[in-house]
Amino acid sequence: MRKPISATAAGLCLAVAVNAAEVSLPKERDLLGLPPVPVPADNPLTLEKAVLGKKLFEDRRFSADGTISCAHCHRPELAFQDGLAVSEGIGGRKGTRNAPTIINAAYYTTQFWDGRRPTLEAQSKDPFVNPIEHGLKNHDPIVGVVRSDPAYRRSFERAFGVKPAQITIDHVAQAIASFERTVVAGDSPFDRYLYGGDKNALSPAAVRGLAVFRGKGRCVSCHVIESSTALFTDNDFHNLGVGFERIADRLPEIIAAFRKAKATGKPVDEAVLSQKALSELGRFAVTGDVSDLGKFKTSTLRNIALTAPYMHDGSLKTLEEVVDFYDRGGFANPMLDGGIRPLGLTAQEKADLVAFLKSLTSSRFATTGR
Amino acid sequence: MKRISVWLLLAALAVPAPGDEFTEEDLKRWKAEYMKVMERGEKLFHSPLGSNNVSCDQCHPNGANTHPETYPKFQKQLGKVATLREMINWCLQNPLEGKPLALDSDEMIALEAYIHWERRGVPLAPGKH
Amino acid sequence: MKRRQFLKGMGLAGLGATLPFSLVEISFAMGTKPAEHESFTFAYISDSHLTHLGGTRFTRNFDQGLRKAVMEVNLMDPKPDFVVYGGDLAQLGKREELDHGLELLSALRPPIKWVIGEHDFYLDMGRYWEDKISPLHYSFDHKGVHFVVLNSILTYEDWIARWPTAEERMANMARLDNPHGSPFLVGEAQLRWLAEDLAKYDANVPVVVLSHSPLYKIFKPWNFWTDDAEQVQKLLQRFHRVTVLHGHVHQVLYNQIGNITFYAMMATAWPWPYPVSYVQKPNQVPKLTVFMNRADPFHERDGTGWDILDLDSGTITNHYQLWMNENRTVAFDFKLKHPVDLKYQDPDKRIPPQFHY
Repeated sequence: MRKPISATAAGLCLAVAVNAAEVSLPKERDLLGLPPVPVPADNPLTLEKAVLGKKLFEDRRFSADGTISCAHCHRPELAFQDGLAVSEGIGGRKGTRNAPTIINAAYYTTQFWDGRRPTLEAQSKDPFVNPIEHGLKNHDPIVGVVRSDPAYRRSFERAFGVKPAQITIDHVAQAIASFERTVVAGDSPFDRYLYGGDKNALSPAAVRGLAVFRGKGRCVSCHVIESSTALFTDNDFHNLGVGFERIADRLPEIIAAFRKAKATGKPVDEAVLSQKALSELGRFAVTGDVSDLGKFKTSTLRNIALTAPYMHDGSLKTLEEVVDFYDRGGFANPMLDGGIRPLGLTAQEKADLVAFLKSLTSSRFATTGR
Repeated sequence: MKRISVWLLLAALAVPAPGDEFTEEDLKRWKAEYMKVMERGEKLFHSPLGSNNVSCDQCHPNGANTHPETYPKFQKQLGKVATLREMINWCLQNPLEGKPLALDSDEMIALEAYIHWERRGVPLAPGKH
Repeated sequence: MKRRQFLKGMGLAGLGATLPFSLVEISFAMGTKPAEHESFTFAYISDSHLTHLGGTRFTRNFDQGLRKAVMEVNLMDPKPDFVVYGGDLAQLGKREELDHGLELLSALRPPIKWVIGEHDFYLDMGRYWEDKISPLHYSFDHKGVHFVVLNSILTYEDWIARWPTAEERMANMARLDNPHGSPFLVGEAQLRWLAEDLAKYDANVPVVVLSHSPLYKIFKPWNFWTDDAEQVQKLLQRFHRVTVLHGHVHQVLYNQIGNITFYAMMATAWPWPYPVSYVQKPNQVPKLTVFMNRADPFHERDGTGWDILDLDSGTITNHYQLWMNENRTVAFDFKLKHPVDLKYQDPDKRIPPQFHY
């Protein structure tokens, strides 16, 4: 088993990363404003795993018709998302949820908009077998490919010390997760201003916007900024009312339909992606607690300028629309989160807030996206 | 020489006791000054200071759960290490849906005086969540 | 030495295990056999404190809490047999507030049983509530269980007479930490009524008492207290299974006194601190209670919620529906003869947010 290479050593081994296509272990400079990347004890991060993971991430053979890879919805050249309101998988089948960016996903304590998977490893296995995403019936074809392809055989041996017959879907998942743990970055103008001591890093508008973010905008409790790091997420779930009007009048029947689907053993995964109404149930689909109706995970705001459109259904197209939405107090409903209320922002405050949000783009990924 | 000592004598007679010899009366009087401000703070604390008829004592009867002894500390709602007065302003603007007070205003000092008074005797624990 | 004193000295836990059956029976009537009756579930919404601002405007925060509770009760599956409204529907007893509350609660599908709180009562001495909503004290039977509803927030006549206006009287009862407040009372008239009401029932009929204020003494400065609580407890003493459900305290709280289990119901409006947090006065907060998590004031629903109550074998399991927090379940332990939190009762299992100071 290879020993993990330290970040500095990796920095020495590779030239300064110039584009997202190169894989490297997280560098200290890239992490300005972020804590160290969380790495699980049972999957230590190595460069071999990450390089292998990227290859798997982009392999279109892992789909029913050979056209879909992870990169189909999480496109490296588009800040690891697809710029669509909701993603389209195999055969152009339309889902119900907006593809989150991989960038900094390593910092979430749950994955997916409803947090139904606890780790990057667990998350990576689901889309392969979702009929709307990669469309495979099970993971066997994937395992078949990696066990027989000579390049994969060598890579898996180097990364995990396993012989071909020993390769499982979990090794695939661990490699993909390892790759995703290298797709991290802070080091945005905001980070250089607040944590790097560069008082010129932010425009005056963005500086005012930071004050709104922390004050009148009431953003900072969910989109967390702390004294030495900022994850911009509380890793919790909240109901903003986005899309809630689609189900508000028919809640009892929709909940009953969901409970029935669950009782037949249908995975939550499939149920929520295939039916718009069920998708709006949010976190309730995972916990079964009606108090969680319409709750979705707080997204990180890092690189938010690159990942339009916004919200779990992609219904808000621009940052201006998002700020307006919060200013109005979200969409009123009995389950509305207790942190959401009308804000009374002035036009200036709103514009400043948008300027601030645009300052959250990491230099590492600044050339990706639109 | 004689003139200087006359001046010194006059100076000694004109000025009360030297700077730090305060008396029991002084102590009583100064305490009373504080208690007056504290009582004003108590009134403010029990009045609706924002726009929604909510008063501080509704969540903090007798100032309970304000933990003045723990400031400055990292205040989650502000995203930084903050002081009690900043948190008072946060409460005025958020749960009370009102306007902040100037940090050095009489009202702010009165509120702080009351909050501390109700928590008298508790040792300092700065930074404690 | 009297048997009762001897047993009290021994402490409550482990009694059943260490003493002969006959002593347990005589000491306080609890019976070692669970009562037999049809199990059922009901819901409890309480302490909404709807606050009128003028015209048709009400404090948004408190409206939201009640709306959320109503929606969640309506989505209960299976449906509850009935819902108790635990009192303090209004903040200052105004008609606008009570009417607004009735409007929001009209969306509830199950039938409602009403308990009055001091914030509903002291503006007009309960007149509007009695006329429009419910009698102030009454009893009913449900599936073999006897329910008694008390108006436990009365008080001394001379205090009531002291105030020149109804608004002042209401305001002085509304302020929790009021040094010019007055302790709650059930009062002689209700005690006589209660004695007569209970006389009709056999000792092994499970009894559930619904009141707004706690029918035991926790903290007088905040009226977490009923002055004649012991007299109520005395009347309940002969029954084998008694539970008191109350509101007013806006926090997770539970206790066992003799044969009576006490559960506090959550508020939909806002959480109160635990009296342990006010160090200038001593308190009698039950040591049994595992405190709820400290609330984050940014999230208006943190520290608020409602309750789902299962009545089974004559005792109540309280499923605290704690918004923004992990729900808590407190159930009667037949061996220990007091309620326990099913996850956190063991001191080693506590978590940091449960530590209040």
